[in-house]
Amino acid sequence: MTTTPRERAEAAAREDPLQVVATAGCVTVRVWQLPVRVIHWTIFSSVVVLSLTGFYIGTPYLSVGSDPRFVMGWARAAHNLAAFVFIAAIVARIIWAFSGNKWSRWDQFIPISKARRENAWAGFKYYTFLSRTPPAGAGHNALAGSTYLVVLVMFLVQIFTGLALLSLESGGALASISGWVFAVLPIPWIRFVHHLIMWMTWGFVIHHVYSAVLMDTEEKTGLISSIFTGWKRLPADRL
Amino acid sequence: MLETSTRQDSIVESLLARGVTRRRFLEFCAATTAILALPVTYETRIAEALETADKPTLVWLEFQDCAGNSESFLRARDPGVADIVLDILSVDYHETIMAAAGHQAEAAREEAIARGGHIVVVEGSVPTAANGVYCTIGGKTAQQILAETVKGAAAVINTGTCSAYGGIPAAAPNPTGAVGVPDLVSGVPVVNLPGCPMNVDNLTATIVHFLTFGALPATDEVGRPLFAYGERIHDHCERRAHFDAGQFALEWGDEGHRKGWCLYKMGCKGPSTFHNCPSQRWNGGTSWPIGAGHGCVGCSEPFFWDTMTPIYGRLPAPPGFGVTTSLERIGAGIVGLTALGFGAHGVAKAIQRKRVGDAVQTPVEIDRAALRKGRDEEGGER
Ligand code: HEM
Ligand code: SF4
Repeated sequence: MTTTPRERAEAAAREDPLQVVATAGCVTVRVWQLPVRVIHWTIFSSVVVLSLTGFYIGTPYLSVGSDPRFVMGWARAAHNLAAFVFIAAIVARIIWAFSGNKWSRWDQFIPISKARRENAWAGFKYYTFLSRTPPAGAGHNALAGSTYLVVLVMFLVQIFTGLALLSLESGGALASISGWVFAVLPIPWIRFVHHLIMWMTWGFVIHHVYSAVLMDTEEKTGLISSIFTGWKRLPADRL
Repeated sequence: MLETSTRQDSIVESLLARGVTRRRFLEFCAATTAILALPVTYETRIAEALETADKPTLVWLEFQDCAGNSESFLRARDPGVADIVLDILSVDYHETIMAAAGHQAEAAREEAIARGGHIVVVEGSVPTAANGVYCTIGGKTAQQILAETVKGAAAVINTGTCSAYGGIPAAAPNPTGAVGVPDLVSGVPVVNLPGCPMNVDNLTATIVHFLTFGALPATDEVGRPLFAYGERIHDHCERRAHFDAGQFALEWGDEGHRKGWCLYKMGCKGPSTFHNCPSQRWNGGTSWPIGAGHGCVGCSEPFFWDTMTPIYGRLPAPPGFGVTTSLERIGAGIVGLTALGFGAHGVAKAIQRKRVGDAVQTPVEIDRAALRKGRDEEGGER
């Protein structure tokens, strides 16, 4: 193919005018479809609620004195409710990884193809000051993609340990499914892991926001606004 | 009854002989039905079974133990019931309470084994390191005695966490290579009644279950009968309302502690422990640890000495940071260090940009350039 980037972008825009708008030399692309954005913010808000309530469950810092307020009762109820919202969001995202557009697919998170491996290397060099150029791409760069894979594993462990802790009081089917884990890791250590992953999640959030700001500053593609609107403005050769 | 004996009377005969009234006997059957969480209709079935059953022979082995379970055994609910408990069983061998000693005692054990069909109760863990020399009785190692005694036995009942899982002798670094009985015994039904010590009510109920149904009660994954270990302490605790309300004792003897508030922040392991202490209680139903103002230490959970510690901390200490470092400190460290690290990265990137210049042509610049070019070439299209 000897088409110029501009011709390619225009062809893409003709094919799918709702998702791609080509202007001179640049394309404005709807990288993040609506479900991706909704899931992103659902995960974020449920993690906030889960962390605030979870931290309270772990370290009840509010002293209610002699006037009982059912604080722990509410914290645990909110935690369980938010937990199921969170689980639903994670399940939905996994389904979307097999049905969404190419920037939300599962292969964005596992750098196995040659192109993705090279992109990850470019990203590594950029972050370690070996190069000045951020890794090119429209969706997640390959390095960021693998970070999200790690985060997904963390979240799955969090869901599993959370359900196992829930099974202690619920018994029933949940206990039969998750009970084996206590033979591998005793109950206090399950709590420990569940608690630790909360802190690791906030470590990730710091990295995540920092990298978003950094990349948007470098590339000015509208990366930060893209998680609200879905659109990114990219050099046409990125598509 | 504590002399060595080879009598095989029926239970009821021996009860009558000791002056236990039928009314008292039926009360015992009712209480045991309740402990076993069986419907009341089972009361008669249990009474019938105990009336017709022969006294089972019981051999009580003590290995690496503190005799706490024997203490518990001898403090059965109230004197009337204690009589019943001891009378249901023909205790043919029990080092601590038997009259016989030395060769005579060992002979009693051997006789019981020879008859077969006996119930073996084990207290204490079995050392396996150095060929088991850490616990020998009459020249035999605990391991040998156990292997001999379970031969032909009808059931093995482990009393206390040590015989069930190795318990305190097996706590890290476990110098004697202590293990629980289930690790060494096969081919005989085994049930675990862990606790430090076990509650004698649960032992009695287990034996009554065995005599009534001819089988040991249903157990969980770690071999504990569900009737006694199926519910979590935290879910039946009398302080639970204070937990839900957010009322916690923060120091021993503070206002919350004096008012009987929840001991969660004092390291109570009730949320991680399964046992019927809150309902069955101890010392004839007088009290239990949390009722007495001390948090649960999780003594009926496998390896509690290693996994439920620190006793006065809610979560295990993070490995490699020393016991005084809390998980919250580690967490704050994780968040603080990432913030610091990426902050430094941002500063370095800003410096790199100053020195090397912009990284890429941004879309804004490309657009501007292309528009200019487009106007030149195509007469301002778009
Ligand atoms: C990112 C998501 C989550 C975060 C940050 C989080 C955080 C926490 C924290 C910090 C605790 C206190 C642990 C302790 O110190 O003992 C906790 C407890 C708990 N969490 Fe989560 N959690 C999350 C997801 C979940 C999920 C998906 C479930 C599933 C139902 C769940 C169920 C529970 C339960 C049952 C407890 C124990 C409550 C108790 O002991 O009363 N959590 N969580
Ligand atoms: S005292 Fe222990 S078992 Fe009781 S409610 Fe508090 S944490 Fe739970």
